[in-house]
Amino acid sequence: MRVRWTRTPSWVKVGAVTTSPPALSLRGVRKVYPAASPVVAVDGIDLTVAAGEIVAVLGPNGAGKTTTLDMVLGLVAPTAGTVEVLGGAPETAARGGRVSAVLQSGGLLRDLTVGETVLAVAALHRAQHRVDVVMERAGIADLARRKVRACSGGEQQRLRFALALLPDPQVLVLDEPTAGMDVGARRSFWETMHEETREGRTVLFATHYLEEAQAFAPRTVLIDHGRILADGPTAELRSLVGDRTVLATVPGADDDLLARLRAVPGVREVHREGDRVTVNGTSSDEVARLVLTELGGHDLEIAAPTLESAFLALTGEGQSR
Amino acid sequence: MNATYLRIDLVRQLRDGMYISFVIALPVVMYLLFGTAFGASADVVGRGDTRLYVMSAMAAYGASVGATSIAASAAMELLQGWGRQLALTPLRPPGFVATKVVVALSVSAVGALAVMAVGAGTGARATSAWVWVATFLVTWLGSSLFALYGLVVAQLFHSESAIGVASASLVVWAFFGNLFVPLSGTVQQIARWTPMYGYAGLARWPQMEGRSVTGTHVDPLWSLVVNWVAWAAVFAVLATWATRRGRARQ
Repeated sequence: MRVRWTRTPSWVKVGAVTTSPPALSLRGVRKVYPAASPVVAVDGIDLTVAAGEIVAVLGPNGAGKTTTLDMVLGLVAPTAGTVEVLGGAPETAARGGRVSAVLQSGGLLRDLTVGETVLAVAALHRAQHRVDVVMERAGIADLARRKVRACSGGEQQRLRFALALLPDPQVLVLDEPTAGMDVGARRSFWETMHEETREGRTVLFATHYLEEAQAFAPRTVLIDHGRILADGPTAELRSLVGDRTVLATVPGADDDLLARLRAVPGVREVHREGDRVTVNGTSSDEVARLVLTELGGHDLEIAAPTLESAFLALTGEGQSR
Repeated sequence: MNATYLRIDLVRQLRDGMYISFVIALPVVMYLLFGTAFGASADVVGRGDTRLYVMSAMAAYGASVGATSIAASAAMELLQGWGRQLALTPLRPPGFVATKVVVALSVSAVGALAVMAVGAGTGARATSAWVWVATFLVTWLGSSLFALYGLVVAQLFHSESAIGVASASLVVWAFFGNLFVPLSGTVQQIARWTPMYGYAGLARWPQMEGRSVTGTHVDPLWSLVVNWVAWAAVFAVLATWATRRGRARQ
């Protein structure tokens, strides 16, 4: 089931020359929530992340992403296996501020102002001197006097980001940091994140947007049903699931035309509904050129691969949820 | 415990509109209404007068609403994920609890002191100064029973309305606790078993020593203490049970 699409990824060599312990090390980690019928949230995960790596944990809802991150933060104890952060216990690293997180939801007091929230958490970390810096970096310096309840989802997420930066952590964990943001807020959030990772922080973030993994993480871990399905450079994930969908209106499309499209190398599937033609495959450039120049098509669209197509390509099974 | 965190948390409670209206304004207004109505003749009652009697009742009501609302809001904070945020800081659970105890005691002290200050300013009289001090101390510290009550309600309701439900439901217990209208007969016999009866009797002990203001009955000290301790035990068990239930559901 587990797919390795590269034997010796470049990041392994980077990790090998350093003598310090890995930023994160998970060995045979399982988490079972006791219930009438016990829920296996994480079902045997092995993962090593070297210092300075940026890793996306990609998977659908319920895949075990949040539980895995909670164990890295020491919020949840594994049922079996070991979790180490910077060579020590996750709780110790979290209390000391060496690992911090942008938590998925909740986690804010709605009747505090943004400035009070940052100051309260800064005081606990004894990091009051960093209040102005992190508010500036997270882009919430102008919001200091606003009540948390009056902030938009994106602004609250920036506040959580500011809190995560307060202890100047070596490892930053982000649990679906852009969930509920519109496209503009999402882009602006990742631009801010880019700045923060130039300092050599290790970043582990969960997402179910393939685009976010591609744009931000050199390495992606694909997870479902509490297991790692694949782990390697994101660029190779992209080429592996390189399927794109080309949609175009081709007047008078007939079976001969569909046959010509099927003949293009890399095309997997061709459909037609009236004049609207849909082509799935890796060779979107060739298909587009053919449709526009020789077949007289117009209104052409090319859609990027989705998480669903990634799962399809890697497991041969559809995503049921 | 962290002084800056404590200050921010305390200021946040003190500017809350519900806190102001339920913990300070309502008891003070009720004291002014009842205290003036019943105490117009300034009758001598025990070691004080009627105004002192009404005043200590309203102080007890304000202090218990204060303790309830702080405990309920602390439980809601944890339920809504602030506990996860705090777990990523050096603050440990005992530190969180200690902070909340200080906040709850501060708020219930403010609730009791507000009524007592207005009482002193409008002619409530005691035979000696120690009656004032003892009434305040019993009222203040005895209200911790309702912090447990607030935890139970918050765990059962699991939403922000829990804080309102917990505070508002105290009106019922306060009625049965003999705080608003002197009870007698069957109602009084039932009321003896309710959670605020023991607390209210103890808060008035310095003045009344267990006698009812209408002279219909006398509560022995031990029965008031047993009422307080027994309800504290009941709320503690319920709070533990509800917390476990809430955790299992997550």
